[in-house]
Amino acid sequence: MEYYSSNLIEEYLRTRKIPSTACSGCGLGMNHKVVIQAFKELGLKTADIIWGTSIGCAGRQTFATFKGDGFAGTHGRAYAIARGLRIALPPEKKIVLSVGDGDAFGIGLMHLIHSARVNADITVIVHDNLGYQSTGGQFGFTTPMGVKTDSSPYGMFEPNLMSEGMDVMHILKGAGATFLARHVVLADGAMAVESVKKAILNRGFSLVHMPHPCVTNFAMKHLGSRVPVEIFRWFKERTAPLGQEKPNTIWATGIWHDASNTRPEFSEVMWGATEKIRRTGAL
Amino acid sequence: MKRFLETGNFAIAEAAIIAGCRFFAGYPITPATELAESMSLRLPQVDGVYLQAEDECAAMHLCIGAALGGMKAMTATSGPGFILYADPFGWALGCEMPMVVLNSGRVGPVSGITGAPGQGEFYNTRYPTQGGNYESVVLAPNSAQEAMAMVIEAFYLSERLRMPVTVLADQLITDGWEDISIPETEEEMKEMGMRFWPRKFHPGPDFYPATDALDIPPVQMGKNTGGLCSDWTPTEQGYDIEEVEDHHKHAYRLIYKVRNNRELFAHHYEKKYMDDDPDLVVVSYGTPSRVVNTAVGRARSQGMKVGSLRLINLWPFPDEHFTRKAKYLAVELNWDGQLVREIQRAVPKDSDVHFLGICGDLPTNQDLLETFDKILKNQPLQRKGWEMEAW
Ligand SMILES: Cc1ncc(C[n+]2csc(CCOP(=O)(O)OP(=O)(O)O)c2C)c(N)n1
Ligand code: SF4
Repeated sequence: MEYYSSNLIEEYLRTRKIPSTACSGCGLGMNHKVVIQAFKELGLKTADIIWGTSIGCAGRQTFATFKGDGFAGTHGRAYAIARGLRIALPPEKKIVLSVGDGDAFGIGLMHLIHSARVNADITVIVHDNLGYQSTGGQFGFTTPMGVKTDSSPYGMFEPNLMSEGMDVMHILKGAGATFLARHVVLADGAMAVESVKKAILNRGFSLVHMPHPCVTNFAMKHLGSRVPVEIFRWFKERTAPLGQEKPNTIWATGIWHDASNTRPEFSEVMWGATEKIRRTGAL
Repeated sequence: MKRFLETGNFAIAEAAIIAGCRFFAGYPITPATELAESMSLRLPQVDGVYLQAEDECAAMHLCIGAALGGMKAMTATSGPGFILYADPFGWALGCEMPMVVLNSGRVGPVSGITGAPGQGEFYNTRYPTQGGNYESVVLAPNSAQEAMAMVIEAFYLSERLRMPVTVLADQLITDGWEDISIPETEEEMKEMGMRFWPRKFHPGPDFYPATDALDIPPVQMGKNTGGLCSDWTPTEQGYDIEEVEDHHKHAYRLIYKVRNNRELFAHHYEKKYMDDDPDLVVVSYGTPSRVVNTAVGRARSQGMKVGSLRLINLWPFPDEHFTRKAKYLAVELNWDGQLVREIQRAVPKDSDVHFLGICGDLPTNQDLLETFDKILKNQPLQRKGWEMEAW
């Protein structure tokens, strides 16, 4: 895999924003790279893609980095904006959202589920740094049990979307998402690129969940060290491919659900109905 | 021209379509539900899309998305939904995204009384979001016919000013049945004083000039201009940056593109019996103004020197109507007094400002005439045990 080669940068990124303002050692850059690599391998041009983000590290560090058109919504709302935009854009334009876990699975979960419900053609990349990191490191809805954060000083004990056998992927599948995958890039980066490509090619709602290390807050608080190799090791030990999970596995990686192009897509449904009603007065 | 005996909600839906609106996102709430229903019926017939959102916050964000893609969009609600617009409203103001928002007032706070008119949203529509550093444009019609005209005007202003514009109605306007004339041609629109402005898009890259200039089209996604639009401080390059100096330029535009272009909408008011410098100026907006106008006419025939000032453009507040030292009476559909505060601020020092508040119903002519009489005779105002002297 080509890692941030200069031609990837020149083709897809605004050089003014490189290097990004993310902390050095942060795993976000690796995730970002996977997404850009997928664009490249699909032969997409910047003109083919609208890059949407929200706030938080995932949003702020990648907004305006992508060279093409881009928007950033307020916290948790990019999914509703993207759904409206989907109606207005020609179907061949891709909408890719680069968001955080708090954004997608906390404040924005309802909008996310409704986007899956209607199978809107949006690719959501959730850069999961296991909590609210740009606000200094509070727990979120994917923070592993027992983990100490600034707002779980005794260790994480409140049930969340990744505890007691629950998995946020089940919720999204039940809501109607047509492509779901999870990858921990430092363990399976090449597969992550393949999944992002599949996600983009699915004409419907796709989400790729990519947990990544946060050195500054998460690692510092939980492991007492911001040395990247330590948190990288901690991550790797808790990651396993789907079907090969070990007792301590938190992140089962791979394709969780691939029903690509099996459900009618949202904007097609809406415009199809509009067209028929306009012509015949009924559905 | 087509004539109907219909509700304000029906008229507003037709108005939006005439103005070029092809996207509406709604969420059921009395008394704006029938507008959403009308749009769900009408939009597909004119190549538009109606969406029912998961909540009002999503509804306005859906409008933002559609507007970002180049469509004219609208959403409508009442007080309990309007507060859920706070988040997207800030985005639309900051990112300068044109769209129209209708708020039909009922009796608050919270769910209050759903099927009755209220005017508790006066300040809410001025400050629909957090953070300050912006101006708001609000139009308040007093009939179904005028609601139609003001919705068309709101679309026009939102394009020219590049911002969301609010139409503040009340339950009697949106739910009430009235005789409505709808223009069918552009000529008829012009004859009825209606203005139209098409959606254009900005080719960039200078998306956010620190200027009060009008007619700068909004950023659009999907045109491959490298257009950027975010909730952070935009600069000339569209980049986010946290610098007070850049943010000041941004805020300057949000404030002064409205303040310095007030001639666009400042003519939206109505004056009756105001030519002879009346002793008492009765100020109102929305449906109560219809009773006020009648009562003022009657007061004149009884020899009281009273005039009526009806505000249609509520915000920015038209201070220019309040330069004369006189007695003023604010008639509002609330018990706490909102418009009256703004009048107190705008009038010359030591002016005599009074408040008559009623809620859930309209004041009667009798109420009004008694109040005018007392104010003119410098007698204290008292009604149903409520002390009004505070005002
Ligand atoms: C409505 C709202 N609530 C709270 C915040 C404060 N806030 C800023 S960044 C952030 C963290 C978001 O977490 P996540 O999406 O997981 O992104 P991360 O920073 O962890 O990458 C929060 C809560 C905000 N900007 N808006
Ligand atoms: S705070 Fe954490 S997640 Fe955010 S940029 Fe720094 S290391 Fe990355």
